[in-house]
Amino acid sequence: MSPFSNREPAERSARGIVVAGLRKRYGATLALDGMSFTVRPGVVTGFVGPNGAGKSTTMRVILGLDAVDEGTALIDGMPYRSLRSPLDHVGSLLDAAALHPGRSGRNHLLWLAHAQGLPARRVDQVLKLVGLASVARRKAGGYSLGMRQRLGIAAALLGDPPIVMLDEPFNGMDPDGIVWMRGFLRSLAAQGRAVLVSSHLMSEVQDTADHLVVVGRGKAIADAGVAHLIAAASAGRVALRTTAGTHAMRVLAHAGASVMATGRGTITVSGLPADRIVTLLSQSGVPFSEVSAHRATLEDVYLELTHEAVEFRAATPAKVSR
Amino acid sequence: MRAAVHVEWTKIRTVASPLWLLLGTIAATVTLSAGATSVVICTSAGCDGHMTKLSLVGVQLGQAPLAILAVLVISGEYSSGMIRTTLAAMPHRATALAAKAVTLTGLAAAAGTVAVLGSLLAAWLILPGHGFTAPSLADGATLRAVVGSILYLVLIALLSLGVATIVRDSATSIGVVLGLLYLFPILAQTIGDPHWQRLLQQIGPMNAGLTIQATTDLSSLPISPWAGLGVTAGWAAAALLGGGLLLHSRDA
Amino acid sequence: MTGFPQLLHAEWTKFRTVTGWVTGTAMATLLVVLFAALAGISSDQKGSPPVPIGPGGEPVTDSFYFVHRPLTGIGSITVSVSALKSGIPTDLAELRSGVVPWAKAGLIIKASTRQGSPYAAIMVTGGHGVRMQDNYVNDTAGPTTGASPRWLRLDRSGDAVTGYASADARHWTKVGTAHVDGLGPTVRGGLFVASPPSVDGMGTRGSVSTAAFADLHTRGGWADRHWAGDQVGAESPSFAGYPRNASGSFMASDGGFTVTGAGDIAPAVRDTLPTGGTRGDILTGTFAALIAVIVVAVLFISTEYRENLIHVTLAASRRRSGVLVAKAIVLGVVTFVAGLAGTLVAVPLGERLAHANGVYIFPVTSSAELRVALGTAALLATASILALSVGALFRHGAGAVTAVIVALVLPYILVAIPFLPASVSDWLMRVTPAAAFALQQTLVRYDQVASNYTPYNGYYPLEPWAGLAVLAGYAVVSLAAAALLLRRRDA
Repeated sequence: MSPFSNREPAERSARGIVVAGLRKRYGATLALDGMSFTVRPGVVTGFVGPNGAGKSTTMRVILGLDAVDEGTALIDGMPYRSLRSPLDHVGSLLDAAALHPGRSGRNHLLWLAHAQGLPARRVDQVLKLVGLASVARRKAGGYSLGMRQRLGIAAALLGDPPIVMLDEPFNGMDPDGIVWMRGFLRSLAAQGRAVLVSSHLMSEVQDTADHLVVVGRGKAIADAGVAHLIAAASAGRVALRTTAGTHAMRVLAHAGASVMATGRGTITVSGLPADRIVTLLSQSGVPFSEVSAHRATLEDVYLELTHEAVEFRAATPAKVSR
Repeated sequence: MRAAVHVEWTKIRTVASPLWLLLGTIAATVTLSAGATSVVICTSAGCDGHMTKLSLVGVQLGQAPLAILAVLVISGEYSSGMIRTTLAAMPHRATALAAKAVTLTGLAAAAGTVAVLGSLLAAWLILPGHGFTAPSLADGATLRAVVGSILYLVLIALLSLGVATIVRDSATSIGVVLGLLYLFPILAQTIGDPHWQRLLQQIGPMNAGLTIQATTDLSSLPISPWAGLGVTAGWAAAALLGGGLLLHSRDA
Repeated sequence: MTGFPQLLHAEWTKFRTVTGWVTGTAMATLLVVLFAALAGISSDQKGSPPVPIGPGGEPVTDSFYFVHRPLTGIGSITVSVSALKSGIPTDLAELRSGVVPWAKAGLIIKASTRQGSPYAAIMVTGGHGVRMQDNYVNDTAGPTTGASPRWLRLDRSGDAVTGYASADARHWTKVGTAHVDGLGPTVRGGLFVASPPSVDGMGTRGSVSTAAFADLHTRGGWADRHWAGDQVGAESPSFAGYPRNASGSFMASDGGFTVTGAGDIAPAVRDTLPTGGTRGDILTGTFAALIAVIVVAVLFISTEYRENLIHVTLAASRRRSGVLVAKAIVLGVVTFVAGLAGTLVAVPLGERLAHANGVYIFPVTSSAELRVALGTAALLATASILALSVGALFRHGAGAVTAVIVALVLPYILVAIPFLPASVSDWLMRVTPAAAFALQQTLVRYDQVASNYTPYNGYYPLEPWAGLAVLAGYAVVSLAAAALLLRRRDA
């Protein structure tokens, strides 16, 4: 088992979303290759991975829109398509642009409300909640992408569902909007809802998510709490600050450590405990100013995890010019 | 199901185009019918019997805007991606499609009734001035033609919905629908062999269905009026069934 | 800065890289061919009598009542026609007397009684006075004074036959001299009566005519035998036969004859040869191809609006109207090539299958053949440009497709409505884009044959290229309007 996974066995009756062993093939491409993870109540789960890793496909499968060749996706223990009033279980935002441009934002929510027998009052409530009350009667075709995202979130909240699932909700939002969105997602979790938020940028979710599902090439390559992930990525590493980088690296490598220059005058060392490093450097007369336990950022974790899994990696400039 | 119909009805009444297309259906039907009845000539006796059919000829044009409306009801959602929102809200896909069909049936019946009665009214105003007897609703065959024409329009709307559910793209769907409607009569017109001609007139959704408008010479028709309308219903049912199965099995 | 060639290249690349559009265009080609095959195999005329062909290669009606004797070498024949009465059957199968304008009674010299053989004749007609006609297609008017009886005379010398008419048997007016190739030394000459079908509404009714002849005189090499009466061409695809309770006959009575006949001696038209096929019939697939072409053309522009690709397209070019023109050219050329390919395969295939089934196809001159092929391709190409422009105007795919299909295809269905006067059918085929179907007309209109020369029967009111000009006019106006709007409107 990978050090990045602390997944518990899926409970069929569990509240939240339980995705188990999803496999789906589109012609020659394997879109989902054993995707498994869980989304628990009261927690914001970040769903991150490079473009094309299978995030949107997984969300469509959870919503019963796409069929899979293998595996199950359960909402509160039931497949989505067997839910009697699905909007009361899951609120979702897949594509904010999926609107009829000639219909007002309010009317878009109104037909969705009718689907669940919700009163028009509820429509006005969610519109106020997302801050769209003033433009609700304007045609949705004239909305900015940020406004459409807010409308999509309003739609997701119509049924006051215990589970909220949002695909790339930060797309097209201005900085104010992003700050609002983060607070909003946290408040949803604080109300005890299970929140799944996808993004292809770690920076968008790192201050919001408590739990991360990192995906690459159609499967979850990590499914763990944010603190756990950072700890696992930091484990056994020592950050060293020195003006004689080359000398220090030679000495430490000779002693069996793996060494990596990580910046101007900083070196990350693994394979040797900190006290042994201090001794070695002192004996060899290498000057250093700081030795500390390395603390990884989420960005580091993400890059390390997805390094192998990026499907559409840009060619390096050196390769292009040749 | 009631909630689903309510959804579809809300969707249709909250955008402007369906209303215009329904008005277009009425305008096109009445205009062509009135135009045809005002230019008609008759060189020999016995034309009066064909006046019902002629008074309702506008249905051949009026079905086009109605078909657009029916196509857009589903393909419009595919082009914007809203179909996913719809199906996430109503995961039972057969219900979602049935709700669209029910809503369309109501709209087509309402617009069809106005269009057909409008055409009849035009005939009442125009035909006597040209020395013809205008069709009367007291006549059983005429009543059948009138009711049948409304049903025909409903069936064309359902056929279009089914085709659009299969094809998904609106421009292609309407091309397929109008091809099905208009190509059979043209082919029957140009094919010389009487056997094939009859067969084409029996199986075409438009020419078979519009035999419901015939009031005279019923024995010489390629297919009897109600059976003809049955053929159109068969096309509509097949298209809806095909569309429903694909909607059920396909990824949205 | 991008020039127009780059714009063309860009649009061509856009077109060929969308599988659906290439498939749709290929389908247009295929539909033309498939429908031709269907038209070819669907009709079975095997075993029916052959269509009589005149000396000029055209199909003819050569069915009439003939009272004849052989004539060898030089000779002359004179007769007076005192009455020509016609009867047309009513719905109750009774004969009602009426005027059949091209009912014919007179003298004829014909190579043989074989249908389609060369002849020259002079005759009194029901409504067009005295006429001299030869070899089916040639018609010369004689004196039109309504005097009765009229004397008629034919002089034959070798291949030259001269016709005269007179009101009193003393003063003769020469109507014309026909040089009839292939008469041969011995010919058949004598009296004839023909009575073509009478035009009624959108159809025709068979008719029968009876003429009273007197003062029959012959000079020269006439064989010394009794006059023989025969129905020429009794069994013929271009002869519908006698009305019920009527038949051809002749009766001699003191120097005179009463002759009753039906049929005609004239070129065949659609009404008289209903089993004949035309190039237009073989190319019925044009309608199906049109629908495919229109859908592709509309998608070629409306997809750009839907996906907001139009911003990219317009940003990449200096002049917005240039984009539209480039699209029109690419689409027009592609469709033309697809249409031409379809036509070039479809026509020979359809004809071959039709011939194998014993179906007669109305002949065409090679220039008309070329016009039909190029014209059908041009029709499809112009329609695609119209659809593109309407697509740009409407910015709404389904609406644009419907508008163009209805404008091009529906008129063709409407002309088949019963009791619609020919003037209305003609009007529809003059002012709507469907006028362009005149390009597929291969049938010839004859003044001396009364018939329903309607679009329904394959006779269009406009000349072929004038018909295309109507469609092109719609296309150009819409394209200009679309270009103007594209420049004015926010993309």
